[in-house]
Order: sequence, then C-alpha cells, then structure tokens
Amino acid sequence: MAQKDREPAIEVENLRKVYHNLVAVDDVSFVMYRGEAFGFLGPNGAGKSTVVKMLTGLVLPTSGTARLLGQPVSNLEMRRRIGYLPELPNFHRWLRAKEFLEFHGRLYGMRGMELEKRIREVLALVGLEGREKQKLGTFSKGMMQRIGLAQAILNRPDLVLLDELVSGLDPVGQRDMRDLLRQLKSEGMSIFLNSHQLADVEALCDRVAIINEGRILKVGAPRLLFDESPVFEVRVNPISKELLHRLGAIALAVRQDDDESDRLYVEVQHDEQAADIAEIVHACGARLYGLAPHDRSLEQLFLRTIDASRQRVPAESRQS
Amino acid sequence: MGLLLITRFTLLEAIRRRLFLTVLILSLLIIAAFTALLSKLISVSTPQDGLSPRLFLLGVGVVVTVLVIWMLYLLCSALTIVFTANMISGEVDAGTFAVIVPKPLRRAEIVLGKWLGYALIICLYTALMFFAFLAVIYWQTGYWPTQAPYALALLELVMLALLGITTLCSTLVPTIVTGAIALMLFIGAPTASIVQFIVRFVRPDALQSVQNITTLINLIIPTDALWHGASFYLLPPITDFAVLGLGSQSFDTPFTSQQQIAPALLIWVILYCIALPVLAALRFQRRDL
Repeated sequence: MAQKDREPAIEVENLRKVYHNLVAVDDVSFVMYRGEAFGFLGPNGAGKSTVVKMLTGLVLPTSGTARLLGQPVSNLEMRRRIGYLPELPNFHRWLRAKEFLEFHGRLYGMRGMELEKRIREVLALVGLEGREKQKLGTFSKGMMQRIGLAQAILNRPDLVLLDELVSGLDPVGQRDMRDLLRQLKSEGMSIFLNSHQLADVEALCDRVAIINEGRILKVGAPRLLFDESPVFEVRVNPISKELLHRLGAIALAVRQDDDESDRLYVEVQHDEQAADIAEIVHACGARLYGLAPHDRSLEQLFLRTIDASRQRVPAESRQS
Repeated sequence: MGLLLITRFTLLEAIRRRLFLTVLILSLLIIAAFTALLSKLISVSTPQDGLSPRLFLLGVGVVVTVLVIWMLYLLCSALTIVFTANMISGEVDAGTFAVIVPKPLRRAEIVLGKWLGYALIICLYTALMFFAFLAVIYWQTGYWPTQAPYALALLELVMLALLGITTLCSTLVPTIVTGAIALMLFIGAPTASIVQFIVRFVRPDALQSVQNITTLINLIIPTDALWHGASFYLLPPITDFAVLGLGSQSFDTPFTSQQQIAPALLIWVILYCIALPVLAALRFQRRDL
C-alpha cells in the first residue's frame, strides 16, 4: 500500500516550542503512518524528547499542531489507544509490580478478569513473570524499563511511543526488547521510537527522522535517506594500477579497504554502472569475486547529517 | 472516574508508606500522655472556696478543652502543611507524573483527586483526635461542649483552607517554597488578633482601623479567624461561667473568642476552600512537565 493511502498514526505540523528565549523545537513537521515503526534520531539536546512530550501532552506547544490516530493530543478516547514510556522512567516505588499495572490498567478503563489476565500476559512478555508481588523500589534500572514497557502496552495500544527504550538494559535485555518490538509491530502496533541506539533504529524502523537543534533534517526510509551516489563493494584479485586507473575514469571515487586487500569501494553516479565495473575488471584480467551495493550504516548517515547541519548553521547566520 | 482512581491511589499511598500507621501510633501516645497528665492535674487541684467539686471539675474541663483543642488545631495544621506541600510539585520533580498525565484522564482530575484524598485523610484524623480528646476530658471532668460539632466543622475548614493553599502553591512553586508560604501565612495570621487585643486596651479609638486590617488578613488566611470561631463553640454559655468559677471575660483573649464567627466570613471561607483547589486544577492544566 502506498504511504499516501495509509492512515496517519501521528501528524505533526509546524510544531514549535520556545522556553523563554530558547527555541527547543523549531517548526517540526512529519507524518508517521499506521503499522510502521518510526525512528526519531538526534544528538543530546536536539529536541527529541520535547517533541515526544508534546505528542503525549506533557508539554504544551508554543505553536503548531499534533494529532495522534487522527485526534488532537487532548482527546481522552485517543489516549486509551496509545501507550507511552518516558526516558529513564520513575514510578512510585512503594507499589508492587501487579499493583502498579492494576493502577495503570484502571486508568485505561480496564477492569476485572480482563485486567488480571492482561497483567499476567505483559509481565511474561517483558520477562517479569513471578515478580508480581515485588516492590518497584527493589527493581533494578533494567527491570524498571521492563515494567515501564509493560504499562505502555497494557492496553494493547494502536500506537506506542517509546523514549529511549533500551536505556539501562544490558545487551541481553536490549535484544529481548528488540525482539518484543518486532513482535508487537508484526501484530499491527505502530511504534514511535525515540532513541540514541542507531542499531536498534536501523534494525526496527521503516522510516527515520533525524532532528538536530530543534529542526527535522531528514525523514525517510533509512536506505532512501542517502541522497548520495551509490557505492559498490567490489571484491577483485589482483588489484592492479591499470584497474584502479580505469575504474577511476568512470567512477566518482575509488577507495581500497584498509583491512582487506582485495576489496574496493567504487562510488558511481548510477546503479547501472555496476555493469561497467564488471566489464573493466574482466578487461584488466582480474577475477571478480563479488560486486554488491555497499550498505552504509545509519550511524554514518546520522553523523554526516548532524555534522553537515552544524556547518550550515554559521553560513545561515551570516545570511541572516 | 479518573478523579476517584487518583483519590483511591492517594489513600493507598498514605497507608502503604506507613504515614497513617506512624501518625496513629504517635497520636495514641499523645492521647495517653494527655490522659495521664489530666488525671494528675485533677488530683493536685483543689476547688475554690464555695465551689462544689463537680462544678470545679467542669470548669477545669472547659479550660482544658480549649487549650487541648488549640493544641490539636496547631498539630493538625502543621501535619496538613508538612504532608501536602509536595502534593503536585513532588510528583513533578520525581517524574512520576510522566506516565500518569498521558493516560485518558484530565489533569484537573489528578489535582482534584489528590486534593480529595488528602482532604479525607486530614479531616478523618482531625475528627478522630478531636473526639478522642473530648472523650478523655469528659471521662475525667464530666465536661462536654454541647456545640462540639460546630467547633469540629470550623477546625475542618482550617485544614481545608491550608490544604487549598498547599494544593495551589504546589502547582506553582517547588515543595520547599510551598511549605514556606503555608507556614508563614499560618504563623503570621494570629498577629492581627494579638495586635487588635492590645489596641483595644491602649488605643480604643484606633480599634476600627486595626479591625479593618484584621479583616483583610482573615480574607487572605482565614485560619486564625476559624480557630477563634471554633473556640467559641467549645465554651459553655456565658451565663454559666460564674457558676463554674470562670471570669466572664476569661476566654476573650488573642487566642480564643467569646463571639461567633461572622456569617459573611464563614461563607468566604467555604468559597476559599473550593476556589483554591479549582484554581490549582486550572493552573496545572497549562503547566509543562
């Protein structure tokens, strides 16, 4: 289904938040669709959490609009259908795990056997079965994250907003949470993931928004965010000077791998030039072992995007 | 529905954090100590000439009633301020509201639910202690103020007025500032009564202007006026004072009153107790968390 045919889960238009003289969020607009996992990336202080807080009603926007599941943020019926886990959550430590979930379940309007059954299910889902009677004050940081996620999905939300989900979790816990999110996504839940963990965002998210200094820099599928020329990874032996010269003539750039002597990275203008690369290799008498698009990581894109935006800021200041 | 859930949660918190248990145990100790002290007082006191022992005991009962309920007024007021100063600001600072506010309930329900929970706790405690002290006094002296319910009602309004102040301040300023504001208003309130009492004797012609200032202060912080009103209802009829060996102006002091609270002030206080939590709820609607 094309994106334009899909219902929006989150619609943000010209959202802005100013604290005294500090512009925390500056004219942010994006759309997240139902059923997708949407990643929100940015360095510390970029405005990510402020955007999330405006989506959950914790902070009031200075201007602009936000709609979740087609409703304004203040709509109570819509809030029954969303879940939220803040960054580094803190809960009432005197509560026992089951009591905590009972309280939040009742806030969602759940009752009786339905609530009891669902509490057992979510505790098992987040790996806390058997901890019903344990006080939250005795929970580790990782366990608090898990119980926090449990309350966020207790009501089987259509949309869940997660702010730094894996913060405080060990690698096993992080893997468990990723697996759980994949499962929830496969069940149709829309997931908005605010994260520093680029690997998680890259692995889970259908689309990503990169934000810095309160502004959205890029939005799109991780692969489509590359507005750069395609790069091919070429495994060839031997790598002769003639080969490098002839490849250099048709490519934008040719780079040899530092660690593997038979690997080249060839940046070209068009994907179709892959055939030209193969032809040149054969013409030079080398053996071609592999020719494939090189997937640059989201981390590389993220860092390049942030650096580029920081370099643009002084130029824009001069212009104004 | 959200309001009642929050109220229930507040009550559960008071029980679970052993607040109730701690205060209950200490209160029982206070009552036990008071009982022992009153018994000792009676055993060492002798009636005035011409006064029967029974009437003497009743007179002692009147004086002790006023003094001990005044102590209760101070105790319950202090507990109200201490326990409710962090009602909203404490939760905001701790971050515990971050998962509650996005739930399907209005922010006003959170504020009013907490207010209601604390109001129930404080009013129940005040009532229990009030009747416990009166019961001990009745047992030892035979004195029971016939208008005790009115006195209790005014004491409850004191607590609700202070609760309204802490609720509103808690949505505006940090916990420590809330506590300072409430405490300073409460302790500063009797100043007007003291000054008025002195002026009555040294400069009666200036009494009207002092009374105007007193009225203004009572409008801002009505706790002292309410206590004066409550003290009136703890007394027997003035016509019985002489029979009990009490002077006709014995309770006309800066700390007690032999006059009823003005109806207009009473209406103001009731509106005050309603308006402050409502203002707090309205303020919290717009607060960034």
